[in-house]
Amino acid sequence: MKEATLDDAAIPLHVFVRGDVLGLVLVVASSAQISDLAAGARTAAACRVPPTGRSSVWYAGVRLDPQLTIAQAGLRPLTRVDVVPEVDP
Amino acid sequence: MLLRCTADERGTRHLVSDAHSDWYELARKCDWDLSYVDERDVFPAEVSGEPWLPGASWRGWDEPYRTSFHDYLTAQQAKESGIEALRSVLATHDERARIDRGWNAAVKLHSATLPLAEFAAVIGNLRAARFGRDSAWRSTSLLGALDELRHTQIPLKIAHQLVASDPQFDWAHRLLHTDDWVAIAARHMVDELLVAADAVEFAIATHFVFETGFTNLQFVGLTALARRVGDPLIEHMLHSIQTDEARHAQIGGAVLEQIVAADPERAQRLVDKWFWRSWQLFGIVTGFAMDYLAPLAARQRSFREFVQEWIVEQFDRSLRAYGLRRPWYWDEFVAALGNYHHMVYAAAYTHRASVWFDLAMPGPDERSWLAAKYPDTWAAYDAIWSCVDDRWSSAGPGVEWYTHGATPIGFCELCQFVLAGGSPEANSARVVVDDGGRTRMFCSAPCQWIYEQERERYAEHEGVVARILAGKAPPNLLALLRYFGLDARVWGRDVHGGLHPWRTGAGSTR
Repeated sequence: MKEATLDDAAIPLHVFVRGDVLGLVLVVASSAQISDLAAGARTAAACRVPPTGRSSVWYAGVRLDPQLTIAQAGLRPLTRVDVVPEVDP
Repeated sequence: MLLRCTADERGTRHLVSDAHSDWYELARKCDWDLSYVDERDVFPAEVSGEPWLPGASWRGWDEPYRTSFHDYLTAQQAKESGIEALRSVLATHDERARIDRGWNAAVKLHSATLPLAEFAAVIGNLRAARFGRDSAWRSTSLLGALDELRHTQIPLKIAHQLVASDPQFDWAHRLLHTDDWVAIAARHMVDELLVAADAVEFAIATHFVFETGFTNLQFVGLTALARRVGDPLIEHMLHSIQTDEARHAQIGGAVLEQIVAADPERAQRLVDKWFWRSWQLFGIVTGFAMDYLAPLAARQRSFREFVQEWIVEQFDRSLRAYGLRRPWYWDEFVAALGNYHHMVYAAAYTHRASVWFDLAMPGPDERSWLAAKYPDTWAAYDAIWSCVDDRWSSAGPGVEWYTHGATPIGFCELCQFVLAGGSPEANSARVVVDDGGRTRMFCSAPCQWIYEQERERYAEHEGVVARILAGKAPPNLLALLRYFGLDARVWGRDVHGGLHPWRTGAGSTR
């Protein structure tokens, strides 16, 4: 079993799925990847926005690499993150 | 009662009762010349309000519609008799069962959010009845306090009669004693507006902005809706209350006139602050009722149309008459007319177990009506209701949880409502890290501005998210609902439980 480290701290984030009507508070592990955050946000908003298709994650106007972890992306507790469903070409 | 028209030295006309006209003017204008105590001690700025002006500068204070205590009691007694007769006949289970379920939900929403707020307004009026700077202002405030006591008791008495058959009506008295998220938001506003405000801020915020600016939504719009719904009890209750509001709301303009003359920037700041906070409350309470909970057949105008006529045009005229500007966020307010209540309603519907009243899903005909009324914004909301509709179709009737969110939601640090500003395409929420390193989230630029104007007033308040993170409230949804004071007997559901008429073939609307 992996020993808990600071990287595994639970980070609450304000997440806004584009097309949704409100901000949600998602608690993610700091070692989770940005792609996990996107998937979690789409599931959390699924009763209002269908969770189909890919999403990009934006923080402070910058699109985040889905492979980065929450810690690597520098996301601080309670900051705002936007999850944008992508329209496939 | 015989009324006579008189004119004062400025040519303003007043209606006065003939029986009391000889002594009335002397009684209403009875201010002592203080000789052995300082005026600042009698009327301290902290309670009387700022800018603090010498008493002489308030002696021109004047209310256009006057009444004596005797005439007040006579008129109120007649109104009470009328309401009491209706209440005894119509506040029954059978009568409520006859009325549209969505409209009943609107009545429960109003019954819970307003009566105890009215009771808080008793405190605000009594503060002005002691610390208002002119005797006529104090006298009118005393009658205002009696008015607000009545506005507390009437809806509570009606709701009390219905509790036995519908426990959701218990929340008429219970809401503000709970830690439900709506209660936290309502207390945040009500405590500041009605309990903590000094006499000047109370007069401008409550009488001028809230009552003069916004309550027409309730008393004209909702009264007309109640009539078309076929709910005479609520129609007459609202009308009876309105006649009181019209009288004591006049305090606001008379105070504002003095403050504009002495400190126009403070007057502008107070108007800007309370216009935004009042708009948010009415956007939810009245917006829900007008565009979602009233049956389609009873609706004539949309919430936005009503606000445009009764608030945008009239309030705009009032501001200019007092030499004030539109609030600096006016464009954001106008844009919100097509979005805010739609966003909060969809949020509330998909978290309906967190409130004490049921919510109605708009059917195909209602969505067409909303599309026609909101051609610039409705498409984004229609997509959301399509998603909800698909999930009801998949889940089947009775499966509330498939169209219900389970993730904690964020709240604004100022208004304490959900983060539902802007639009679905561009939510206006903004993060600020304060001097102490604490991250604060605001739903909108006006909420952030209000917070930053008086941060010492708001900084220590704990909203739902802060309570969860501090371990004072549970993060798990079911446990959180219990923390809110709700259980399965009471919490909100879809008004049809998923057996929507358009799905069962019974019709395309409610």
